[in-house]
Amino acid sequence: MSKARLRIAGGAVYDPANGTEGAVRDVCIEDGRIVAELPREAPKLDARGMVVMPGGVDIHSHIAGSSVNHGRRLLPEEHAADPAPAPRLADPDATPRSGTGGTIPSSFTTGYRYAGLGYTTAMEAAVAPLAARHAHCELDDTPIIDAGLFALLGNDDYLLRQIAAGEAARARDYAAWVLSAAGGYAIKIVNPGGVERWKAGGRNVTGLDDAVGTDAVTPRRILETLADAANALELPHPVHIHCNNLGQAGNAATTLETMRALAGRRAHFTHLQFHSYGGERGKSWKSAAKEVIEHVNAHPEVSADVGQVMFGPATTLTADAPVEYLLHASSGKRWVNVDIELETGCGIVPYSYKEQAAVAALQWAIGLELFLLAQDPWRVVLSTDHPNGGSFLSYPELIRLLMDRGYRDERLKQVNQKLVAGSALADGLAREYTLSEIAIVTRAGPARLLGLSDKGHLGVGADADVTIYANDPDRAKMFATPRHVIKGGVVVVEEGQLRRAPTGRRLRVQPGYDRAVTRDLKRWFDGHACVAFENYPAVELGA
Amino acid sequence: MTRRTVEHATCLGCGCACDDIAVVVDGDRIAEARNSCPLGRAWFADGSVPRETRSSGKTVAPDVALADAAKLLGRAERPLVYLAPDISCETQRAAVAVADRLGALLDSPTAEVAAGILASQRRGRAGATLGEIRQRADLVVFWGVDPADRYPRYASRYAVDPTGLQAPDGRHSRRVVAVDVGPSRGAADADERVAITPEDEVDALAFMRAVVLGRVTGDGTVARAATGLATQMMRARYVALVHDAEPSPHGLLHHPDRAEALIALAQALNGPARCALSSLRAGGNRSGADAVATWQTGFPFAVDFAPGYPCYRPHAGAAVLLGRGEIDVALLVGSPAGVPPAVAAALGQVTTIAIGPRVSAAPFRPKVAIDTGVAGIHEGGIAFRMDDVPLPLRPALSGPSVAADVVRALAARLTKGQS
Ligand code: SF4
Ligand SMILES: [Zn+2]
Repeated sequence: MSKARLRIAGGAVYDPANGTEGAVRDVCIEDGRIVAELPREAPKLDARGMVVMPGGVDIHSHIAGSSVNHGRRLLPEEHAADPAPAPRLADPDATPRSGTGGTIPSSFTTGYRYAGLGYTTAMEAAVAPLAARHAHCELDDTPIIDAGLFALLGNDDYLLRQIAAGEAARARDYAAWVLSAAGGYAIKIVNPGGVERWKAGGRNVTGLDDAVGTDAVTPRRILETLADAANALELPHPVHIHCNNLGQAGNAATTLETMRALAGRRAHFTHLQFHSYGGERGKSWKSAAKEVIEHVNAHPEVSADVGQVMFGPATTLTADAPVEYLLHASSGKRWVNVDIELETGCGIVPYSYKEQAAVAALQWAIGLELFLLAQDPWRVVLSTDHPNGGSFLSYPELIRLLMDRGYRDERLKQVNQKLVAGSALADGLAREYTLSEIAIVTRAGPARLLGLSDKGHLGVGADADVTIYANDPDRAKMFATPRHVIKGGVVVVEEGQLRRAPTGRRLRVQPGYDRAVTRDLKRWFDGHACVAFENYPAVELGA
Repeated sequence: MTRRTVEHATCLGCGCACDDIAVVVDGDRIAEARNSCPLGRAWFADGSVPRETRSSGKTVAPDVALADAAKLLGRAERPLVYLAPDISCETQRAAVAVADRLGALLDSPTAEVAAGILASQRRGRAGATLGEIRQRADLVVFWGVDPADRYPRYASRYAVDPTGLQAPDGRHSRRVVAVDVGPSRGAADADERVAITPEDEVDALAFMRAVVLGRVTGDGTVARAATGLATQMMRARYVALVHDAEPSPHGLLHHPDRAEALIALAQALNGPARCALSSLRAGGNRSGADAVATWQTGFPFAVDFAPGYPCYRPHAGAAVLLGRGEIDVALLVGSPAGVPPAVAAALGQVTTIAIGPRVSAAPFRPKVAIDTGVAGIHEGGIAFRMDDVPLPLRPALSGPSVAADVVRALAARLTKGQS
C-alpha cells in the first residue's frame, strides 16, 4: 500500500473537532495529509461497518529519558515475563526490533505497542533539561509515534534565583531558553519548591506559601512566574502542573488553592486523580473529586488529565522525589532516588494497585468520578500517568469503564468498599461516555490542549494519523485491537498486525528570548554547574 | 602548521567525563589537552590511531572487510556482540541492533560491575548526579577508595573542593572521612580515617545501617568504629558515600554482599539525613553501554537474543560463555584495551571481528579488523558520565572510519543477506 494515496471508504467517522459524530463518509489521504477528495482509482481501504477516528494523542506519559531508564533497569523480572519478539514488517529492508514489555517497555516495544493501540502521538511528561539529550536518544529509538517532551522546571536553581530577585522578565527569558535548549514542547512543573526542599535536607513543602530557601520564593510564586512565562511566550501548551502534596489525604485543598492562585491564567493540571483526596493526612481518606472537578467545570482556562489508577501492576516514577521516599517508607518496596544537579529529582517505586486495598479502590473511584462529573470532555482528558497509575495498555479497559455503566457497577461491587462507600460513584453515576466523547478525551481534546493543530482531527490538511476500529460492543476489545492504524499516511497496522514502523517526528518549540539572558546564564554556569554552558543544550539553538 | 583549539571537549579518560577540556591541535596531532589530569592527557595522547582495514591478516578495502565480516557473522551459530569502551552511544545503539538481528549474546564491561547492578535491581538505589553532590554534601565518606588514583578530578570538580549551594566554602564546608578497607585506602586528604579489614567490611556496613535504623549499639572494635561513623553520617545534612564500583586495582575480590550493603546503608540514611551513594565508574562511555542496552532491551548487560527476544543472563554473560567454548564468532565494537583480561584472552580462541579504535593492533588478532576513531577524540555523538548525565563529544581530529557508520553498514549487509 503506497504512502501517497489512500481512501478510507465507508466507515463511521468520529471527528469531533469537525463536528462529525459517526457520519458514514470517506476519509482521503495524500502524501501524509488529509485531503478533500481523491480520484476514483486511488487505493481503497474498506472500512464499512467500522469506526474511524483520528490517531490517539497521549498528553502525559513516561516513556523515555533518564528517569524512565532508571525505572527500566529496576524491573528485570517484569521484562523477563513479557518478551516481545520483533514484529514481521512488510518491508524486507526494515529492521524490526525485539524488546520487552512490562510497565516500562523497552523503547522499540513502546513505539510498537502505542501504535498497536491506535495511538500515534505521545508526550514524555518529565525530562530534566540536563538529561534531555538522553530522552531524545530514546525517542529516536521509539518508532512510529510522534513525540515531544516536557521540560522540568520549578525546582531549578537559576529560576528560583530569578524569583528571589524579583526578575520576572529574566525568568521568562530563561524559561524560553531552557525549553529551547532541551528541545522541549512544554513547561512541566512538579511539586514546585518541594523537590528543592527535599534535596536541601528538608522533607517537602506542605503548601503554597512555604518558603523555599528564602521567603521570597514559595510554591505560589514559582507557579505564577512560570504560568505567566508560558502564556507570555504563547507556548502552544500552557504550564503543565503536577501540584504540591501529591498522594496525600486532604490534598484537594492544595489543588484548589493552586487553581485559585492561577485564576484567569491558562494552566493544565495533570493526573488530577492523585490530587483530589479529601480527609486528613495520617488520619482519614475520602474522595474530593466533586469539589475539584466542579472548580474545573466552572473555569474554562483550566484543563486537566485524569491520571486514572487501574488495578494491577504499575511503576510509580516521578520527579517528585519526596513522595517516593514516603511511598518507600510505607511500602518497604524497592526504591530509587536520584537527585539531579541544580534542577530536579527522580524517585521510583514499583507498585501494584489491588482492588482489595481500601486506598487503591478509592483512587480508582476518584478517577472515575472526575471523568463522569466533568462537564467538558475537551478539557478533562484521558491518562493513567503511564506507568504511574497503570500502563497505557490499560486504556481500553478504562474506556470500557467509561462507556459501559453495567460493567462499571459490577466492577465497583468487587472493590474494597471501606472508603468508596458514600462517594459519588457509589451513589450511582449514570453517565456513559459516547464514542464521540471517547474520541474527544483520547485524541481531539489532548491535541487541542497541546495546541497541535494538525493532530486529533480529520479535517483537510491534518496529519494523516487515523485509527480504524471494528465496532465491537465490548469496548475494551474494540479499543485494544484496532483493525488498521495509519500514521502520517503510512498504514502501520493492517488487519490488526503491525506491518510498518516508520520513524516518528519530534515535536518541539523554540520560543524567542532576549539574548541578554545567555550572558547571565553563562556566568551562573561557570560559577555553579558541572556541565559547560556550551555543552548543555541538547539540540542546536538558532543564532 | 596551524594550531587550533577545540573548547569544551569532553574527556572520557575516566567516568568523570570532564567537559572543560581545551584540546589544542597542531596539524593532525593533539599538542595539549588543557585542564585535563595526567590520566586524561594519557587518554588523549597525541590523538594518533592506526588506520587499517584487515581481513585474515591482509590489508583489504573496507567493502571487502565488511563483506567478510557479514559472511562470518551470518554463518555463526552462537555469536557474541561485545560493546567495548571508547564508542559513542550512537555506535552502541547500532551494535545492539546487530546483536538483535543476529540473535546474539550481547555483553559489555558492565558485567564487571554486575554485583552493584544486581544489588540495585533488588533494592533500588539512593543516588545523585555528581553536581548535586557538589551542591549539597557536607560529609563525604570515601569508602575504600582514593579517587586520586583512577578518578583524578573527582574531588576537585565534584565532591570535595568546589563551592556549592550548601557548601559555600568548598572544602572548608565539608568534612571528609576516609575509610581504609585493608589495602583499599580512602582519600588521602581526609579529616578523619577509619580502618577496617576486608573481612569486616560487610558486617561493618550492616552494623552501621542498624545503628541508623536505631536498632543496635555494641562495643567491639568494629562496632565502635561503625557506631561513630554511622552517628556522624546521621547528623550530617547530606552525605556522599563514595565507593569504587569497578574491580579492585589490588586484585581484591569484593564480598558479594558489599554492593547491597552500601546501597542499604545509603537508603537508610535518607530519613535521619540525606545521602547519595556515588558509584565510581571508569571511562570510555562504559555507563552508556548499560544505558543503551537497558532502553533497547530492558536489561543492562548480558542480554541473550538467541530466543528471538532479549533474555537476561547475568550469570551467563560473555566471560562465561566464552569460557565454556559456546561462542563461535564474536563481534567486538570498541577499544580492545578496555576489554577485561579474561574476555580478551578468550576472544583469541574464537573467530573475532573487531570494529573500533586500534583493533588492528589487538593482541587477540581479529580475523577481520576495521580501525575507527576514538569517541571523543575523533568521533562525535553522546557519552554518559558515570552518573548517567549525557554529554556531547567534540572531536578534535578526524579519524579513520566512524565506528557508528561501520556498524550500520555491517547491519545493512546482514539485513540484505537475510532477506
Ligand atoms: S578526571 Fe577523568 S575525565 Fe577528568 S580529565 Fe581526568 S581522566 Fe579525564
Ligand atoms: Zn506523570
